[in-house]
Amino acid sequence: MRNGRCRTFVCAALVVAVMVVATATLQGQAMPVTNERLLHADKEPGNWLMYSNTYNSWRFSRLDQINTQNVKNLHVKWLFQGRHNEKFETTPLVVNGIMYLTRPENDIYALDAETGRVLWVYSYRNPERTYNCCGNVNRGLALLGNTLYMNTLDMHVIAVDAKSGRELWKTGIYDYTANDGYAATGAPLVVKDKVIVGMAGGEHPISGFLDAYDAKTGKLAWRFHTIPQPGEANFGTWAGDSWKGGGVSTWNTGSYDPETNTLYWGTSNPWPDYNRDERGTGDNLYSCSVLALDPDTGKLKWYFQFTPNDTHDWDSTQIPVLIDGELRGQQRKLMAWANRNGFFYLLDRTNGQFQFAKPFVRQTWNKGFDDKGRPEVVPGNDPTPEGNDKIQPGVDGGTNWMAHSYSPITKLMYVFARDERRVFTKNAIRHVNDDETAADAAGGRGAGRAPAANNGIFGTGGNLPGMGAAGRRGRGPRFAPEESWGKVIAIDPLTGTVKWEHRVLTPPWGGVTSTAGNLVFGGTLEGVIFALDARTGQRLWYFAGNDRVYASPITYLANGKQYMSLAVGDVIATFGLD
Amino acid sequence: MCTLIRAVSCSALALAALAGAQVPRPAVAAGTTNPFNSPADIEQAAPLFSTNCAYCHGSRGEGGRGADLTVGIYNHGGTDADLFNTIRNGIPGAMPVVAITDDQAWKLVAFVRKLGSAGMGEKATGDAAEGRAIFEGKGKCRTCHSIGLEGGTVGPDLTDVGRRRDLKYLTESLVSPEADVPLRYRAVQVVLKNGRTITGIRLNEDDLSIQLRDTSDSLRSFKKENIREIRHDKPALMPAYGSILSKKELADVVAYLNSLRGEQ
Repeated sequence: MRNGRCRTFVCAALVVAVMVVATATLQGQAMPVTNERLLHADKEPGNWLMYSNTYNSWRFSRLDQINTQNVKNLHVKWLFQGRHNEKFETTPLVVNGIMYLTRPENDIYALDAETGRVLWVYSYRNPERTYNCCGNVNRGLALLGNTLYMNTLDMHVIAVDAKSGRELWKTGIYDYTANDGYAATGAPLVVKDKVIVGMAGGEHPISGFLDAYDAKTGKLAWRFHTIPQPGEANFGTWAGDSWKGGGVSTWNTGSYDPETNTLYWGTSNPWPDYNRDERGTGDNLYSCSVLALDPDTGKLKWYFQFTPNDTHDWDSTQIPVLIDGELRGQQRKLMAWANRNGFFYLLDRTNGQFQFAKPFVRQTWNKGFDDKGRPEVVPGNDPTPEGNDKIQPGVDGGTNWMAHSYSPITKLMYVFARDERRVFTKNAIRHVNDDETAADAAGGRGAGRAPAANNGIFGTGGNLPGMGAAGRRGRGPRFAPEESWGKVIAIDPLTGTVKWEHRVLTPPWGGVTSTAGNLVFGGTLEGVIFALDARTGQRLWYFAGNDRVYASPITYLANGKQYMSLAVGDVIATFGLD
Repeated sequence: MCTLIRAVSCSALALAALAGAQVPRPAVAAGTTNPFNSPADIEQAAPLFSTNCAYCHGSRGEGGRGADLTVGIYNHGGTDADLFNTIRNGIPGAMPVVAITDDQAWKLVAFVRKLGSAGMGEKATGDAAEGRAIFEGKGKCRTCHSIGLEGGTVGPDLTDVGRRRDLKYLTESLVSPEADVPLRYRAVQVVLKNGRTITGIRLNEDDLSIQLRDTSDSLRSFKKENIREIRHDKPALMPAYGSILSKKELADVVAYLNSLRGEQ
């Protein structure tokens, strides 16, 4: 007995010793995740510490255990079943072999990243009715110290202890019922001691903003109004009182440049999405723009507007990709941006100066740009009451909120683009307090005003059974599948040249991630999860997930082995090698 | 700080504290009838439908991501009150709430009802009995179309087509079947690398494979690695009957189709 106990003890000690070594050397550091670690997240490839992996939003991993040579052997290691009717849009975080993810609507799960087994759950209950446009979704978490941060559909930001799942604080962002409804669906971004929080609702006459909260207390540190207020610069770009409910939300996640201490964040469409009758022909600032802000104060450093006076819902809420490179013989700090309006832009991120823009999907609306990057708009590209089916890119854009990736090895930026044909319809504007008479008066056929709610906000169906559309060909709002497609493209960001293209059946809603194994991971709307050769676009591996991919992949280490996770439908699928 | 259990209470308290918190609109009582049923009401509902509904239900209610509203069968109840409540409050997890007034919702009820009954009230001039004989015989229509449980499935089910489709549509479908082919009945030609071509209607497709119902009503699946080409250049499998049937015969078939109203 005694000998047996001793042997057991010795074995246990050995196991512990091995685990300690494994933990220390293979899985990366554990909590707390300090600001210093966030600044150098690329040095911890075993972890995935923020939404885009690193502040420059490359969504690139240095891991190369899975590579072009062995990816053909990749297979499912575990599934996490969401047990929810809603699809996952989340990007999980991973720290030291523990995965943290959000499940619709606003639950947080901590999992063993090696097995998918649940460690703890935090459940948040939203009111029965919330005002999110496009599903009860959440896109992920932020992390600082031992604390996770999450936005909620009913406009709260919540801090949860990463070890226990206990709620630490909860702060109301705004009245979620105001102006037909606000929501918060994006992942927050931690910068220094603040949690940066965006909001959604541009389908309604809301008034957008970007907030920063004290990470320890949840107290509001600053708020930047995305529509200039009276007395502020650029206030006069909206007609009449239209600025009061002009939309311009901040519903995705931004990027941060510590060298210049600048926060970059994209803004949404002006409201009404498809109608400028009330907001006039001004630029409607700062809609469809990127904002460069001081993260300490929320003060605007500069802005660049991609689509002035937009009538197509071409949000500029894509995630800024920050790269450095040589341009016209000079080393430059740059920002690469594949925009929903169908153009790839390169900006100087120190001052917002336009460098160039090139289309990456079929486009009809733009003849070219002036020196400042202002587009020369082609007439006839506005929505019409009867529906304009000649405009490209489509309602959901050449890209949307899905993440892009940049590989410092190939020096290519990977974009999962939407090349599609759709209909843009202009209809009646409905204001929050409209009575029936007013709504009817504005809403007659051909009245030429746009609605509070709008077309094109619920996503596309893909080719899953029951999701294909019927209709008179060429006359209905939908088109034959072969008229639209998706494509992963590899863009040289310094020239805008597309180096390769991997076409898929349907315009996608998922993002991509690249790795040092020279792979690009992603998933299609039909659920085909793929690995492409980052140098050529050749598909090297696939898995038939058979449900919608509305998320972007991550990769990490658990017990020394590399895994790749991607949400497909309401399942988190995780793959690895033997 | 809230524990896991207390978090729910905290949320509820915070919710109550929010000014003007909205709850779903109270449902109208069963048996409530639509006060907005006039042709003018339906006309006013058309742009509302285009704005709020067409993206999922199709521009003519033919379905897509949302249900086909032209079939006149409603999964969440078919009374005026049911339709109003569905439109007004949405379907959790399936159909969003749209920003419209109560009166507009009632007008949409009238509009949706009309979508599902385009053929009602129309009177065909042909002889329905003669049309049935042509349908079953010379036209060979049942090879591809079903009425009730009898017939093929390569073409749309016609059990209640007379209620759903007006006479103009029925005539056009016979003379120019390619004018409106629902996507799930569009023909595709799969050309294999071994030279064989299989024609059918597409049931499903992704980047790896395609599934068909072929012209002999068999279910088929092909991996794309074995496919040379997928062609869509002849979208309708149905022949154009304008050159097969006389005008009188066409009118008779239309009359027969118009008489097919399904279960009333």
